[in-house]
Amino acid sequence: MDCLQFRRQLMAEPRSHDPQLLAHREECPACQAFWLRTQHFEDQLEQAMDVPVPAGLADRILLAQATDARRRQMVRRRGWLAVAASILIAVGGGTVMWRQAQSHSLPVLAVAHMPKEISALALTAAIPDSMVTEGFAERGTTMRGPMPLHVTYVHDCQVGPYRAVHVVSRVDGQPVVALYMPGKMTDKPEHFSRGGWTGREIPLNDGTLVVLAQHASPDALDQAEAGWRMAIDGPGGPSLTSI
Amino acid sequence: MPPVHKDVNSKQRQYEAMVRAWSADLYRFAFWLCRNEALAQDLVQETFLRAWKNLDALRDAELAKPWLITILRREHARLYERKRFDTVELDDTVPEDTAWASPERSGDAAHVRDAMMKLPNKYREPLAMQVLGGMSCDEIAAATEQQPGAVMTQLFRARQRLKSLLGGRAAAEGAL
Ligand SMILES: [Zn+2]
Ligand SMILES: [Zn+2]
Repeated sequence: MDCLQFRRQLMAEPRSHDPQLLAHREECPACQAFWLRTQHFEDQLEQAMDVPVPAGLADRILLAQATDARRRQMVRRRGWLAVAASILIAVGGGTVMWRQAQSHSLPVLAVAHMPKEISALALTAAIPDSMVTEGFAERGTTMRGPMPLHVTYVHDCQVGPYRAVHVVSRVDGQPVVALYMPGKMTDKPEHFSRGGWTGREIPLNDGTLVVLAQHASPDALDQAEAGWRMAIDGPGGPSLTSI
Repeated sequence: MPPVHKDVNSKQRQYEAMVRAWSADLYRFAFWLCRNEALAQDLVQETFLRAWKNLDALRDAELAKPWLITILRREHARLYERKRFDTVELDDTVPEDTAWASPERSGDAAHVRDAMMKLPNKYREPLAMQVLGGMSCDEIAAATEQQPGAVMTQLFRARQRLKSLLGGRAAAEGAL
């Protein structure tokens, strides 16, 4: 091994115990000095990467797992109820009643989903439009219009039994959450206010949009709704022309 | 290898032990992947939820850490667009002894942290796998579906780039 090989390998694997490497270190004073500096740099790198871990992280993970296990049990049970209900509907034709029962639960589920990702509200940096588009694409929604301004967060989430796209955008400096999930659950926009959250549930395209915020003005909710409408439905989309 | 768990209770215990043992390391790894505290927490949550659902796939508790890192990387890739191009490519010359950032010039951990934040993803990721994950070049190569030689080059360039970032800062502050 020559000096160049030694230094190349050391910069790729500073903590290597390769016998050839160590042999060259012993016989070459210049490379021994290089080795010492590399170790020092690596100490600094390890120190720099050792970022503080949020307090209680492990407990929150274990809680999430316990909650998830319970929720899955519930979803399974609710799944059976849905089958039973659909049989009833097929027999009795009670579609309106069933749909109402579902629509009333969505704001509850949406608000209940918030604590899990409350830290997302603190994000202020805008993410690229492509990331937002991709987030929706993963849930089977192709965006037809331009993305709203200043989207800070996108995640695919399970909201109760629904697979949703969870996004946060900043309107007048305030975070507004939007959840979009496939399936129409309401015929007309419905407003709700619960647990410190105000929001609305809106039929949009083939799905349902829920926008909600903690301290935002109705104007901010309007703006957020308009932004996501434009993005999902496109300019002059079906929902606009049908009004 | 003995099976990781025998019944539901021991599966739960196994999972708890895994969370307590690796969540901090995994968080740090996630942080250096996405460079955002809230998203890193989210990624770690998702990773452990997926790990719980797939715990049967983990045959050997010794392999938990690389296994978790693999899940987390997949989760991260699923959520974020991967930018696999890099505009500026430094040549592969080994820095001269004098160009090497000395302790005085490279500054404290905060400066190295700043430099790490600026490092392109393709360098930051293998570096985090090596430094935080304790993975060898071969293990990183297997996990990222690359040749070990390519990983060696990335790790070499990662440190080279870091040093040039730190050197640049020192120069800008007139410390050189
Ligand atoms: Zn030498
Ligand atoms: Zn969510």
